[in-house]
Amino acid sequence: MSSHKDTTHLPPKLDLSGWSRLPSVLMVGGGILSVVGALISFKHDGGTAFGFSWLFAFIFYLTIALGSLFLVIVHHLTDAGWSVPIRRFCEHLASLLFPWLAILFLPVILFAPKIFTWLTLPAADELIRARAPVFTLAGFVIVSATFFGVWWLLTSRLRYWSLRQDVTGDALCVQKMRFHSGWGILAFAATITGASVLWVKSLQYQWFSAIYGVYFFSDCTWIALATVYVITVILQRQRILDGVLHDSQFYFLGVWFFAFTVFSAYTEFAQYFVVWNANMPTETFWYLIRERGSWWWVSMILIVGHFFVPFFLLLPVKAKSNFKIVLPVCALAWLMHALDLSFNILPAARPDGYPLKWIPLQLGCLAFMGGFLSWVFLKKFASHPPYPQRDPRVLEAMGIGLEPEEYPDTLPANGGDR
Amino acid sequence: MKHFGIIAEFDSPAAILSAAEKVRDAGYQRWDTFTPFPIHGMEKVMKLGNSLVGWVSLAMGAGAFLSVVGLIWYANAFDYPLIVGGKPMFSPPMTFVPAYIMMIMGGAVGALVGMLGLNQLPRLHHPLFANKNFALASRDKFFLAIGATDPKFSENETRKLLEEIGGVNIELVEDAD
Repeated sequence: MSSHKDTTHLPPKLDLSGWSRLPSVLMVGGGILSVVGALISFKHDGGTAFGFSWLFAFIFYLTIALGSLFLVIVHHLTDAGWSVPIRRFCEHLASLLFPWLAILFLPVILFAPKIFTWLTLPAADELIRARAPVFTLAGFVIVSATFFGVWWLLTSRLRYWSLRQDVTGDALCVQKMRFHSGWGILAFAATITGASVLWVKSLQYQWFSAIYGVYFFSDCTWIALATVYVITVILQRQRILDGVLHDSQFYFLGVWFFAFTVFSAYTEFAQYFVVWNANMPTETFWYLIRERGSWWWVSMILIVGHFFVPFFLLLPVKAKSNFKIVLPVCALAWLMHALDLSFNILPAARPDGYPLKWIPLQLGCLAFMGGFLSWVFLKKFASHPPYPQRDPRVLEAMGIGLEPEEYPDTLPANGGDR
Repeated sequence: MKHFGIIAEFDSPAAILSAAEKVRDAGYQRWDTFTPFPIHGMEKVMKLGNSLVGWVSLAMGAGAFLSVVGLIWYANAFDYPLIVGGKPMFSPPMTFVPAYIMMIMGGAVGALVGMLGLNQLPRLHHPLFANKNFALASRDKFFLAIGATDPKFSENETRKLLEEIGGVNIELVEDAD
């Protein structure tokens, strides 16, 4: 059918040049807030509040980067055509994992004795002794470094061959990206499970839940899809991607987003249901803490805001490509994801209720890291073509059903009745 | 003799697409196209919205979910209170798995029944089958039929319009019932 794309329906070009200082402002403002918060935290509890807030903010951005990595891997494994235009910035998001998120992880190591009780408790506890090689500071650092090493290898290879493809257009690049996605999906599954268990679940190391890695993964992809959707809308409005984007891209992203809304609720409920049904004190304590004080209300907000509201808003077919519906849902997703991470992380330090006093400190850490990472991301984005230039499927993404060598000389003049 | 409508035959997707545009612009309401494969853009020309099947499916799914929750409450907490594993007589988490599964069942049945109902299927015969060329609609010909129940329908005017827009083998189809 017709390859001509009508862009007249688009609103005027979005001009974000006035916002170009935002990352630096966030970095400086968030940095000051974090330092002040850290000093106060040192005085009051020896740095625990700061350590937990930093870990919380770190995990928040880690989930976005890991989810984007998953989108890139799945793109290659399924030989997808529609997601070619969004692949490049997903690669940039994923490559934040190393070295940038690894650098932001250093304070977590520094504050590990304040955050992870198993580092300071006597080794008499059988649950600590059984995991002894990992549950020591050296073990913690080595295992964490391994995760970052795998992510570095994976993201740098995928991005290297993708950028190489822009230059050569060689079939070898596609084969290489598929090869790295092949072992990558297995390594991704292993490392994301390990990272979620070591960095988040071990905060309450007495607890067991076999589905925790899957639950963490589903939330990673959910929040990455919300982020990717917003970035895609912005790039279309800025007329950067509008030539290669069709309505179908927004629809497909919306379908993914909807699917992972359901999937993350499914994994979370599955975890709750198994604990509830088995009714064993070694498992129920984790949820009992989270039913105490204001944590009860946090869990109620999560059930409604993390699942029911996005589910019903995204349910109609047309809603998935309607920006007026999806963009607010993306904003809600960020808020709910932050609350969900609080729900997972903070009760280990504050079992009595949600620590409202920590909010400025958390916002400071979030703003600092957000400013820093978006600055890195924008630098990466600006120094490379915005979408894969010579991917064999880029025409398919544009909605042109022709072989590359046929294009554009033999494009049917009548709009193509073929 | 009652009439079902007038049918015309076209040779290519482009021909039927432009024909459909002209029929729409002429103000006809009750007409349809029959093609061997889906034609891009036809749904826009025919102004076809989303199917209502989703709503039937939603209603059946939600109904199944709530009735299973009700059934478990009735059986376990009301009619014959029974303590199982030290759990409460009734608690939402315990109803969720069976209710969820029956919701899928209800949704699927709703989608099937809704689809058949909206398509007015099953039926044994359709007046258009009387047209001897119509079987080619699943091979290489493209058909456009304008129904006799259309407010603008008139045997001569409609036939003339179909001739003007390039239809061949134009036939008045009788309604056998």
